[in-house]
Amino acid sequence: MIISGKNLSKRYGGLKAVEDVNIQCNSGTVTGLLGTNGAGKSTLFKLLLGLVKPDEGSVFINSIRPKPIGGIIEKPCLYSYLNARENLYLFSKIQGAPTSKKVIDGLLEKVGLPLDRKDPVKNYSMGMQQRLGIAIALINQPEGLILDEPFSGLDPIGVENLRELILELAKKDGIAVLIASHNVEELQKCCNFLYVIQNGTIIKSDTTENLISQHTTKYYIVGKSLMASPVLKSYNPKHQGSSVEIECGTADIGKVLQALTAQGVTINSCTPKIDLHKLFQQTEL
Amino acid sequence: MRVLFWAELFKLCKQRRTYYALGAILIMEIIILFSAYYQGRSFIDLLLTNFKETFYFEGNLLNGNLLVYVILNTLWFHLPLLLMIIISGLLTAEYKDGTLQTIFLQPVQKLKFIAAKYLAAILFTLVSVVFLMITAFGLSYAIFGQGDLIVYLDTLNFYEPDDAFRRLVWAFFSGSVTMVFYAVASLTMAICFKDATITWIVAAFFLIVSSLLIRIDYGDSLFGEILYAKLGESWQYFFHFEIPWRQIIFNNGLLIVYSMVIMALGMFIFTKKDIS
Amino acid sequence: MKHFIYLFYTFGAILSCTCVHAQQVDGDLLAIKERLDAIIAYEAEMSLDIQADFIKMPTKYASVTYTKNQPLEFSSDDFILIPKKGLDVTMSQLFEHPFITVNRGFEKQDGKTYKVVNVIPNDDKSDYSIAKIVMDTVITRIVSSEIHTKKEGSFTLQMKYTDKKAILPEQLEIFFEMERLRLPFNFLGKNAKIDRKKMRSQEIQSGSILLNFKDYKIKYHP
Repeated sequence: MIISGKNLSKRYGGLKAVEDVNIQCNSGTVTGLLGTNGAGKSTLFKLLLGLVKPDEGSVFINSIRPKPIGGIIEKPCLYSYLNARENLYLFSKIQGAPTSKKVIDGLLEKVGLPLDRKDPVKNYSMGMQQRLGIAIALINQPEGLILDEPFSGLDPIGVENLRELILELAKKDGIAVLIASHNVEELQKCCNFLYVIQNGTIIKSDTTENLISQHTTKYYIVGKSLMASPVLKSYNPKHQGSSVEIECGTADIGKVLQALTAQGVTINSCTPKIDLHKLFQQTEL
Repeated sequence: MRVLFWAELFKLCKQRRTYYALGAILIMEIIILFSAYYQGRSFIDLLLTNFKETFYFEGNLLNGNLLVYVILNTLWFHLPLLLMIIISGLLTAEYKDGTLQTIFLQPVQKLKFIAAKYLAAILFTLVSVVFLMITAFGLSYAIFGQGDLIVYLDTLNFYEPDDAFRRLVWAFFSGSVTMVFYAVASLTMAICFKDATITWIVAAFFLIVSSLLIRIDYGDSLFGEILYAKLGESWQYFFHFEIPWRQIIFNNGLLIVYSMVIMALGMFIFTKKDIS
Repeated sequence: MKHFIYLFYTFGAILSCTCVHAQQVDGDLLAIKERLDAIIAYEAEMSLDIQADFIKMPTKYASVTYTKNQPLEFSSDDFILIPKKGLDVTMSQLFEHPFITVNRGFEKQDGKTYKVVNVIPNDDKSDYSIAKIVMDTVITRIVSSEIHTKKEGSFTLQMKYTDKKAILPEQLEIFFEMERLRLPFNFLGKNAKIDRKKMRSQEIQSGSILLNFKDYKIKYHP
């Protein structure tokens, strides 16, 4: 465990932004924090990163490195008038980290940014800015990385590239990554463990697999001749072009797919649809 | 602390608005010089109206020294306004762009960071005043040449060119203490208000109030002697025939103390506030 | 060096001598006038000190050149204020047109007794109405004068000499009066404290300008 928060609470005036939250993140894993807008994700991350002092509770950092945790809150905040190299140089310099060309190049390469761009980062795409933000977060080799809404504003290719980068950082470098997002699809693709936050409180937490399976009530199946298949009729199918939405839990989807295959139906994809209302509904933990 | 100070200077040098500010100072000077060129002679005539009946005049009073003095008089309102906008922007822009958050996601101490910010603000202010001084002398002497300086401060004072130059340089140095006070105040305002527009409005309001306070005659009261706005006018003492050095040192010393108190207050508030 | 010329025309003694009725002019004054008329040119270095509460000015330096029947010429590197009246140490303006004198007895100055005469012009062309001349009759020179002009008020001159034989003074003090400065509020100096009531009252203030001459190079009639 690299980072953990115990019984964290934060109020702004009368508003409870975060209340009695317990959260932790282990090295080499990607942990997700799922919540709707205004659920308290950013406040919780600011508490964990020490930007905001908690009213109650405490944060434990299990690292002796000069910079234990790196992070991005909401969006990568960069000096837009500086280029990527200058941003990295500046942020390295202020924390006494190495600033040699080799080190800066290494950071740029790690996040997949070009080494030869010299224009200010205001010209960069959102995806590139996110990558540079992560590079800055990685200066001084932190053991933990906290990323708030890293996929927001990115195009699908950007999202995929960033996801691969996050997984690589966790897997290769053993970094404990904590990601907050309102996008359950993205989190389920990269997180080992998920927390669900609503109204400043953690309402659910489990492995991604369990949490997703508990709240998957529908599937989208894309394939040929799906319309003609009698298998789907008992699952209240809704046809949308070449895809069909069926009401089916994780327990039954295997049987459905097997039956369709047996019937000779070609299945191109099968995507679970999570019941968000159910997911964000408070239940006993 | 040293690297944080370096980082602040690096950012200042890399931002276009730094050069816009210096450009604005230069443009203001040029406008004042042109205005003085067309109006200066009538000013001098007005100043010497009563003398014309009794004396002939020999020599050029509409010279570089008078122009530098005119620039000094006009820029002591405009310059602090410009400085307050730029210097408060050193912090409000970081709040707005979120870079302050990125800074504190690195292992950086708040106190050291804000102290470096204050130091950078002071250095920028001093550089601006020196820039103003060099350009004011350069432009004024180049266009209007050297000559005696005529100043009206209760009495009509005449200073020979070398003496005038010395007094004007001292006035710039003394005025830089005033500018540092306003710079430090604006950064403290930025800490309190965070938002650029609100800070600018408050800074402009502060300057207007200060300029109104200057105009009030407090007589010999203690309040008048220790009021920051009055202390900020100490540079004018260099144009009294006998320079009241003790008064100037006292006034500037007190203004430096005020600046340090405001700076300490700003640092205290900043370290106590959340970065959000 | 800047040269400039002011209209101190001295028409000289010849013209005035022919117009004076000898029986009506004091003999001692005539003797002084003859000494002064003998000067055809002079050059001197001059320092100027203004002594007035309302003007603060360091000592200024200039050169003065006089040639008979020519305007006085000054040159200086400094900004200088030159009094319009009183710089004519040869008194050529006073003696330019016919005049009479009235004996006013004697007056003590610095422990010495000097003769006093009033000079009254006979001609309307004169720009003064009356002048009081205090003379040292022993060494034939003027000690002080008070000249009342027709249009430009009055002014007083006090002359000092170090050399007993000298005809031109080494120190000349010109007293003047002028209205208090009337300047717009906050003009140039922000701390300028202008009393608006006093501005309206047109208060008269007096001062003097002290001129010290040295290195006289005087040319006389052959």
